[in-house]
Amino acid sequence: MRSSLVRQILILAVLALVPAVGEAIYFRHKISWRSAILPSEMVTVDQARAWGENVVWVDARPDEEFARDHVPAALSLNEDRWNELLPQFLAAWSPGKKIVVYCSSLGCNASREVARRLRREAQLPDVFVLEGGWEGWLKTR
Amino acid sequence: MAEDEMSATPNSESIREQGAERPTPNAELRTAGSIPDFKGRTSKILWRTVDLVVAGIFIYAGAIKALDPVQFASDIDNYKILPWPISVALAFYLPWLEIFCGLALVFRRLYRGALSILTALVVIFLVATIAAKVRGLDITCGCFGHASQNWSFPTHLALDLALLAALSALCYCSTPKPPENA
Repeated sequence: MRSSLVRQILILAVLALVPAVGEAIYFRHKISWRSAILPSEMVTVDQARAWGENVVWVDARPDEEFARDHVPAALSLNEDRWNELLPQFLAAWSPGKKIVVYCSSLGCNASREVARRLRREAQLPDVFVLEGGWEGWLKTR
Repeated sequence: MAEDEMSATPNSESIREQGAERPTPNAELRTAGSIPDFKGRTSKILWRTVDLVVAGIFIYAGAIKALDPVQFASDIDNYKILPWPISVALAFYLPWLEIFCGLALVFRRLYRGALSILTALVVIFLVATIAAKVRGLDITCGCFGHASQNWSFPTHLALDLALLAALSALCYCSTPKPPENA
């Protein structure tokens, strides 16, 4: 009886594997297995600086961290106050400008989430995540 | 024990073939008397409904996540438990596992295997959600893709516990019982 249960579990596990592999192949260009952010969506501090005035910096960290210090001219846009801050950000953004989002460090998720929401919900193009985040910026300052 | 027998639920033909009545809530095995028969039928309908509701929830949840594995990978990663490549692999795999297990409940094939997998999944979701809350992570569970994005922690917990209760009840009912006369 127990072996039959195990067999059923194995059959279901293998069945699910088939479409999962197909989907992984289908989405291979839309998701990176190495990093949560696609390489094409990342930007280094040097690259972002080279864009000069043509970039809007977005600070995805919590308000208190933004208040403490931030990239010059950066706008605060975090998920805690998304609905409140998004209109302010959109007012400051103009078409053609690149958007660079950062959070505290390489391991944080906030910049990735904010960048994703800017692309999906606000339908904005040219949204990038800063490699290394605020810590990366501090190192090169 | 034959595969068919294991795949079947307590109210299936195979039970009668065994020649032994099993005192399960959804048994349709009562022979004489209209009241027990009515009770058995009502019980059968009730448990079949639970079956279908649970199956529907998992098929829906799986389909929504299968449509957007990138978002689901991100949701798994937000728990900060697994490395990113594992999150990606699970984002591709888990939705299909949920869908197949849901279908198994609907069509009553590989039934107990599906119940076991789904119960294990819900327990894992539950533990991960509580662990995230304890660690102060303010995250979405990702259980139902965008639909669950604004759910509060108590809502997640309530749904997981309700699913766990339903699955446990179905597991209990599908476990073959020894004959009463044995």
